[in-house]
Amino acid sequence: MTAVVVGASSGLGRALAGELARRGQPLLLVASDARDIEAIGADLRIRHDAVVRCLALDLAREADPGARMTAALEALPPVTSVLLAVGLSRGDDDFGLDASRIGELLAINLHAPLAIVHALLPRLRETRGVVVLFSSIAAVRGRGRNVVYAAAKRGIESMYESLRHRHAGAELRVQLYRLGFLATNLTHGMRLPMPAVEPVDVARVVADRLQRGSARWYLPRRFALVAAIVRLLPWGLFRRMRA
Amino acid sequence: MRGLAVAQAELTSFDRQFHARCALQRPDRYRLLDALPVDAPRIARGGGVSYVGASFGDGVVSQSLDAFDRLLAFDAAAGRLTVEAGARIGDLQRFLLGRGWYLPVTPGHPRATVGGCIAADVHGKNPARDGTFRAWVDALVVHRPGEEPRVADRTHDADLFAATFAGFGLTGTISSATLRLARPPHALVLRRVPVASLAEAARVLREAANAPVLYGWHDGGAAHFGRGVVNIGLASSEDDEGAPRVPPASADLPAQVAPLPFPLWNRAGLGAANRWLDWRWRRAGQAPMALAEALFPLNRARLYFAGFGPAGMAEAQWLVPHPRFEAFAAGLAELVTRTRPRIALIASKLFAGVADGFSFDGSGIALAIQVASPGSPGERAFLEALAELAVAHDGRPNLIKDSTLDAGMARRAVSGFDAARARRARHDPHRLHGSELARRLAL
Repeated sequence: MTAVVVGASSGLGRALAGELARRGQPLLLVASDARDIEAIGADLRIRHDAVVRCLALDLAREADPGARMTAALEALPPVTSVLLAVGLSRGDDDFGLDASRIGELLAINLHAPLAIVHALLPRLRETRGVVVLFSSIAAVRGRGRNVVYAAAKRGIESMYESLRHRHAGAELRVQLYRLGFLATNLTHGMRLPMPAVEPVDVARVVADRLQRGSARWYLPRRFALVAAIVRLLPWGLFRRMRA
Repeated sequence: MRGLAVAQAELTSFDRQFHARCALQRPDRYRLLDALPVDAPRIARGGGVSYVGASFGDGVVSQSLDAFDRLLAFDAAAGRLTVEAGARIGDLQRFLLGRGWYLPVTPGHPRATVGGCIAADVHGKNPARDGTFRAWVDALVVHRPGEEPRVADRTHDADLFAATFAGFGLTGTISSATLRLARPPHALVLRRVPVASLAEAARVLREAANAPVLYGWHDGGAAHFGRGVVNIGLASSEDDEGAPRVPPASADLPAQVAPLPFPLWNRAGLGAANRWLDWRWRRAGQAPMALAEALFPLNRARLYFAGFGPAGMAEAQWLVPHPRFEAFAAGLAELVTRTRPRIALIASKLFAGVADGFSFDGSGIALAIQVASPGSPGERAFLEALAELAVAHDGRPNLIKDSTLDAGMARRAVSGFDAARARRARHDPHRLHGSELARRLAL
């Protein structure tokens, strides 16, 4: 039963690919650069004797990513899970972006997940599969930074609700993770208010829960408290937060 | 350098002699590896376990290859592995041993990477038998700013291929390599031969040239200088069921060992340690030896390295030709008696190769001499006198180990230094690759 990992060339996506391959799951790996995704595919085949197919897809420019993925899945066992570990943020996403940059952020963070889920939904319903979505602390409360990124992640949360509203748990499971800081190149060198979590540790938890039903989780769990505090902060205090 | 995963970081050489706050990039995709401005000076960083400052320097972006650790192709029948340069040697040995293969030439630190082993042209457990790392590399891929990646081997782009071994990362960033593998010995038996002097050790080493594992340990104190034991690891057909399995990655020596707040290796500490080692090991005999123990010797040396304290250590490593070795050893004994340096360890090895470029190779006996608190006046004077003594006996230094050498001494001691420097310049004419090591030795 095949798992699709979108954004598999780095960070959480790469860790998810490794964890699922270790568990013997056939994989379709999707990322923008063939050099990275082919290297990861080769590594997982060699280390774990895994069935891996790789698809290089530029989600910022691909009009119909779901169609390409549907075609790539033909040679693989039926798809049972789609993990959308895709995301792009920019340091200058503070109302300083031009329209093309806004479009790029929305394409990767929102349009691509929506299009992929739409395209794969019939197959996932056939197998009572699972859609795994990843949101962010940025989506908890809008701020003057990560403007487009946060809006896109809110969109992901809305998609989670829509999927659950439309499909009963017996035909489709939907899981949403609100992630804390991950130790990836995006947080490299940043002063963070709390320790970053290793992507491999998150990947292990996500893989363990794949067979569970629909739910929304914070990872790490202590992040739920942080999110609650951010949400409940009085406006005057919240406005002063810069970190 | 927004968006390039670059941040300021404090980096330290393994011997603790060099510290720098410099730009550290953590690319996790090829696009980021190639994304630095074309004219930005850079240097690749593998495990960060080089004794000297080979992977960082002032004004240089240190590019970590941590994420580039993937196995790209494995031919289990022919024994070939193509792997990215950031793959750690310890991880590779664990993978390969489970499939009936291993890398015969590896350094003691399991966190050293394939790229680092190439850039330093490291030697292993018996360089006289197995050569240096270059002997086991069929091809490599080098990234240079503004160029397409170049594939080099012994027939195609052969000059780049040769210059990249012991090229210290200055010919470009090695991104992957194809390695030749060997079948590991079924089991090892370790034969110990006590020796009274370095000269006697040299004779024992020469007689055991074909052993898979071959090295000597020697007392560096003035009272019993050179006394020690030569360890000869021989392949055995006996079952090795009692031996420990290959240790997991969690048992690997860390890249940086936190120093004890005080130095353990003062004169009293070294005297006690030498007496214990002498009692424990300097006796004839033989016993089964786990291959894992031979492959990862530094995993048991955490306290040893921590014991150097915040002042750290320095390792002088000199390869002296056979005809000159006895005279060199006698001169060294006299020097130690006269200056009484704090020598923590002397190791001896046999070499039977040919030096090329900056490489540490040749035909002779190599001594690795680890000295505590190398910044102290007495130790500094000893290391300078040692270098003069070695050069006077045609010794060749290991540039990637010895942080006490300066450019003048490197030029005097490395035959072919200027030719090697010119070759490096041919492959990096705009000096876009640099490091503390390159600056100090004017490479």
